[in-house]
Amino acid sequence: MFILILFVCSNWDVIMDADTLQEGEEQPMRNCAPPSDSEAPVGILAPSLPLLRNHTTPEPTGRHDFVSVDEDQISSLDPSGDTKVELHSDAGPSSKLDSEETDSPSCQRSVSTPPSGREDVPTDPDQSDSGEFVVTMLAKAKLEEQGIGVKGRSSPLIEAGIQEASALASHRDEDVTADSWRQHRKHVFVLSEAGKPIYSRYGSEEALSSTMGVMMALVSFVQSGDNIIRSVYTEEHTVVFLQKGPLVLVCVSSSCQSEQQLRGELLYVYYQIISMLTQASISRIFEHKKNYDLRRLLAGSEKILDGLLNLVDSDPSFLLAAVHCLPLVSSLRDSLSQILQKAITPNLVFSILIAKNQLLTIVQEKTVIEDVRLEPADVHLLLNLIGASSAFQAGEIWTPICLPLFNPDCYFYAYISYLDPPECTVCLLLLSTDKEAFYAVAECKRKIEEAMTAQNSLSLIAKAQSYSVSQVGVSDLRHFMYKPFDVPDNYRQLTQFTSPEMEAPYCSDEEKMRLLDLYRYMHSRIHSTSRPLKLIYHVAEKETLLAWVTSKFELYTCFNPLVTKACAITAITKLLRWIKKEEDRLFIRYPPKYSTTPNPSKSSKSSKSEQQDSADNGLSLL
Amino acid sequence: MPDVSKMKKPDVKVVLLGDMHVGKTSLLHRYTERKFKDTTSTVGGAFFLKQWGPYNISIWDTAGREQFHGLGSMYCRGAAAVILTYDVTNWQSLSELEERFLSLTDTANHDCIYAIVGNKADLTDPKAQLSPNSDSFSEDQTDIVEDRTEPQVLSACPTPPASPTSLSGVVPRKQVSREDAMALYGRILRYKGLDEKSSLPADKMCFETSAKTGYNVDALFETLFDLVLPSILRKRHENHESPTVDLEDCRGSGKRVRSSCC
Repeated sequence: MFILILFVCSNWDVIMDADTLQEGEEQPMRNCAPPSDSEAPVGILAPSLPLLRNHTTPEPTGRHDFVSVDEDQISSLDPSGDTKVELHSDAGPSSKLDSEETDSPSCQRSVSTPPSGREDVPTDPDQSDSGEFVVTMLAKAKLEEQGIGVKGRSSPLIEAGIQEASALASHRDEDVTADSWRQHRKHVFVLSEAGKPIYSRYGSEEALSSTMGVMMALVSFVQSGDNIIRSVYTEEHTVVFLQKGPLVLVCVSSSCQSEQQLRGELLYVYYQIISMLTQASISRIFEHKKNYDLRRLLAGSEKILDGLLNLVDSDPSFLLAAVHCLPLVSSLRDSLSQILQKAITPNLVFSILIAKNQLLTIVQEKTVIEDVRLEPADVHLLLNLIGASSAFQAGEIWTPICLPLFNPDCYFYAYISYLDPPECTVCLLLLSTDKEAFYAVAECKRKIEEAMTAQNSLSLIAKAQSYSVSQVGVSDLRHFMYKPFDVPDNYRQLTQFTSPEMEAPYCSDEEKMRLLDLYRYMHSRIHSTSRPLKLIYHVAEKETLLAWVTSKFELYTCFNPLVTKACAITAITKLLRWIKKEEDRLFIRYPPKYSTTPNPSKSSKSSKSEQQDSADNGLSLL
Repeated sequence: MPDVSKMKKPDVKVVLLGDMHVGKTSLLHRYTERKFKDTTSTVGGAFFLKQWGPYNISIWDTAGREQFHGLGSMYCRGAAAVILTYDVTNWQSLSELEERFLSLTDTANHDCIYAIVGNKADLTDPKAQLSPNSDSFSEDQTDIVEDRTEPQVLSACPTPPASPTSLSGVVPRKQVSREDAMALYGRILRYKGLDEKSSLPADKMCFETSAKTGYNVDALFETLFDLVLPSILRKRHENHESPTVDLEDCRGSGKRVRSSCC
């Protein structure tokens, strides 16, 4: 177990505040006062974590273990200020857990040998090198982002490109030396192990190639010591690294999300790339050619990744790892399921009906679903693909797609068609394992279309909409998210959650984001690896939140700021009763199944032809 | 039994091929919807059924991305016509046709016809900036005015490819002449082992179009449809041996007519 922390400058406000919070919430229901500020009287609004983050007057004395380094010296290295690099040993999750369990709130787990200054950070000369190296690299990266270091290296073509592009207001063409670029809340970069840029959320990859080179240098330097770099904390940013096979994903976030959450989001990005290329072909490509430019294969897919990252920021489905289905009278949902159940063809494995980007129903092939369960993340990727490729909605799309959690190495063939042109809100998605099945699958669509016309389903679907929290009939309750867990009768069911529309005061995008940030904060506390909580009562600045996780469900609620704890508890009881009553409408209760082939699971999992398909699709170039 | 064959079997298949961002989807969209709008990169392939007189023509709009290259030969199987599309302001897009896309057409019909189409002609050719249709003229003209103030938007691709073209400056230069396209046509015939004299002349099969203004777009598709007519008739004739087909034909075509006029 080896953990090293390097301190360049001690600014501890984030961690300190988190500590206070933890102390305040160890007995979450005991005290009504805002957990983050035990001295504040009840009713006075405590700042939520995002605000705490911005504290500019921390108490460094509390962190006497660390001697802060001369400010000037630092600023010459790292213009943004404070940097903490955290390296976790490669020894696996169990040892990581150990380390985190031993931490006491006031004494950072990461500090086994507190450095008393930068010069004598570690006693081991190697570590000293690593420290300086890391710091220098980071500082360099910053300088380059500012445009100080890049001038000589970037080609005139690229600079011309940037200049021309700045006229286009596209994120892709942003000037990466501008302040506005640095202000983005969350940057995501994908690069290859050779340090080749693959994707950047903002700005062109070419312009960022030196920055990505620095990232790769960090990763490989730490790797050379048999370690894995996981994160870097600075005053304003959290940098999270995720290495998956030959790809390195990096997130630079100024949001208040936990490292764990950010890593989860990077994983979604990775899965989306896999869904387009498959894991097998990506490994094969890089085995053949270490410095392959993967953008050749991903060209044109940037919008899909952009769309995914926007969804991740704005849709709690990703945070909860559950799918959101459109509330629908159960008889209507059943009749839609039956329509899908009847329209089958050999090798069809999933039939999915979507309206307003939410699930209406899903029918699954019996034997396939016995083998592997359809994960919410795979559904999210499918929904994102549909959203991102909807420009030309009149046609019937036939495209290979991999469901990375289902099987990262094989392709399914997706048939996507809108049932209600020109509005294009109701979308049918049929997944087959047979590349040649387009006409047969398109025929299923005609049958579905016909049956839906006969039953007038489209106009019924058009009336379906998400519900208002007022329907619950609980005063003070502003919003909630409820995710039931697997129970025996719906084992292997797709994990779902339900949530009302966000209504006043969460109307503007900023307010919506603020509420989501609060939920993210609650979620990070509940799912903290070091100190998981079952129940949190959190008085925030403008609202009061209560999160509760049991063996049966996970619930996040948002109340008026002045609600009392007793009221909140009563409200939750009422809410749970309401959900129970409405669950047939809110959830897909018993996902129907069909049987299309004697042994489709084999063909989807391991058939040779499938494997060849995957080779065929990506990689004719090799 | 009627359930099984309700789908209108298309009479003939036309495939659009070409590098990404050359405007395949925009061309088709201009032809079927009479509009030009922003498109996103096509995923896989998109299938459209076009009612053309009494015939049903299926059109496959394929993705130009290398990612989907492997599917190309599947989309081309049994095609009666292939539209090889390039961007007149991008030489690379023409050479990609020969390097990457020509081999995909191996699965097409033996008598498949080939058209070579240089899109985005409005960027380099003043006459392509005027719409041939007077009814949509006003709409198109606003487009053009917009172009003058914001010339970069002209490239008509959401993500300009990182080719020298998109970086070279404000006014794109024509990089591919019609002669280049015609020369490619000749090479395609040779690749297919076809005799130049008995095949359709290059002059007739090379088009320069603009999906943005609609220039030459109808001419392209209608010329092609006229040319595939013999192959439609032959296929229909073969189908006449089956007595059930006529019934579906009536039913199916009624439906198609509705969908084709949207």
